[in-house]
Amino acid sequence: MPDRTHRLHVRFFAVLREQAGCSSLELDSAAPTPAALYAELQAKHPLTFPATLLRVSVNERYVTMTTPLAAGDRVVFIPPVAGG
Amino acid sequence: MFELTSTPLDSAALLARLGRPDAGALVVFEGRVRNHHLGRPVTHLEYEAFDELALAEGAAIVAEAERLHPGAHVLCVHRTGTLAIGEIAVWIGVASAHRAAAFAACRHVIEDLKRRLPIWKKEHHPDGAAEWVNCTTEAKPASATAEYYARQTALPEVGPEGQARLATARVLVVGVGGLGCPAALYLAGAGVGRLALVDPGKIELSNLHRQILFTPADIGAPKALAAAARLRLHNPAIEVLAHETAFNASNARALVAGYDIVIDGTDNFATRFLIHDACRAAGRPLVSAAVHRFEGELNVFLPGQPGCLHCLWPGRPSAELDAAGNCAGGPVFAPVVGMLGIMQAAETLKLLLGVPGMDYRQTRLVNLLDGSTLAIERIAQPACPVCGQPGSSGPELTPDSSGAILSDEAFAALGPVRTVALLETGEIPPSVSANVETVPAGDLARLRELAATGPLVLTCRSGVRSAALARLLRAEGLTTVYARAR
Repeated sequence: MPDRTHRLHVRFFAVLREQAGCSSLELDSAAPTPAALYAELQAKHPLTFPATLLRVSVNERYVTMTTPLAAGDRVVFIPPVAGG
Repeated sequence: MFELTSTPLDSAALLARLGRPDAGALVVFEGRVRNHHLGRPVTHLEYEAFDELALAEGAAIVAEAERLHPGAHVLCVHRTGTLAIGEIAVWIGVASAHRAAAFAACRHVIEDLKRRLPIWKKEHHPDGAAEWVNCTTEAKPASATAEYYARQTALPEVGPEGQARLATARVLVVGVGGLGCPAALYLAGAGVGRLALVDPGKIELSNLHRQILFTPADIGAPKALAAAARLRLHNPAIEVLAHETAFNASNARALVAGYDIVIDGTDNFATRFLIHDACRAAGRPLVSAAVHRFEGELNVFLPGQPGCLHCLWPGRPSAELDAAGNCAGGPVFAPVVGMLGIMQAAETLKLLLGVPGMDYRQTRLVNLLDGSTLAIERIAQPACPVCGQPGSSGPELTPDSSGAILSDEAFAALGPVRTVALLETGEIPPSVSANVETVPAGDLARLRELAATGPLVLTCRSGVRSAALARLLRAEGLTTVYARAR
């Protein structure tokens, strides 16, 4: 993991918003991927929703949990959807 | 067009926006709030959207439906906020010239929307309790999934462990035609976790008698996209990816690298050789089938096993084989592709499960005219440029009229040129100058990539293997490939 941190913007929706107790936050993180970022967030916030059931978007595009993150990225973890 | 709104949907107003003089069919789907879910009464729903991504995904879903069903015009609007029982949560209208495209496009939009639109709903119950739908993690999907596969997991050869292995497996299906359709359908049903479909083609009326994933409503649609949508309906629990592209020298390595097993359902030798060589280079098993009229043949090529596709057709250029086989566009008895495609699915599943299967050194021939089957051992050519053993007795290195084999003088006359040293398995890389790349001798896919960029000199210890490979690549039209001993 690189020791350089980068500023990330995270938004929460639905079950994650309720668990996190907020709808967005900004943080300086060294997490290289969304998977690492979610683990880091889980250590600080009561996010009990399992990472294995999440999808993730970065800058309003679906990506994978192992896509590299860069400074300024807007990250949204997507719980199972239920439109319609 | 796709929209989000927090105000109640007015069906009549939306319908008015879809009226077109060229549309003889209009199909509307309304998703409404009902008063019960999973046996519990519901008082109202709360919808929450990730607006930016929902708008982008919604527009993409609508565009994909219009591409799958040319001539269909789609309007889709999704509500957000608090909705009472009976209110419309999503409204989808499709106008098209004929009914088939309108029904099919409407179905596609609602199914894809439920799969990928980032919208969540919270159910409120009369007792004051509320929960996010699909997000209760206690034992929810497991029971339904287990029942789907119950008759298969009951086999001792599969069992729950085998089923779990299939769920994490990734299979690439190249060619979504007569072979690829049934192969992919059975793999989807069996619960292979990720299927990727590669096909650049569009569905034609003359495909339908044998390409069983498609109906007349799909004519004109991209095959990979239409097949993926159909497979998701068959098994919503798996992931299906569509690549609307030909399998070619520039994407071969990247495509094969992401999958455990590759199925070849293509209809021409140029692509067959590309797939075969990419699989061999990447160490992936290849399950290959081909048909001719009432007959078919099945080959499973395991990585590192002698007796490869080049051994079957030593030195024969693909154009010559295609002309002789006349496979693409030729007459075909539909059950033959069905049977061979299903045999491909069977061998793929057995490889994934580790179930002992057929003797993979054999070619299996099936004849549906007389009902016969035949297994023939593939003869490994000792001097095969791709799978042959180094140092085996091969053809002598003789000057040939093609000019492929370079003398020292000819090499010098060529000037500065890209040089590749071929490495046998286990061979220590030779001490070569910095501008010489080393490539595994069997990695024909990489050699093709390099040869496509300009003149290329292949070297090996004796000069035999490099000469054979140069001839093979020249037969494919890569005429500036040369060979010499080092």
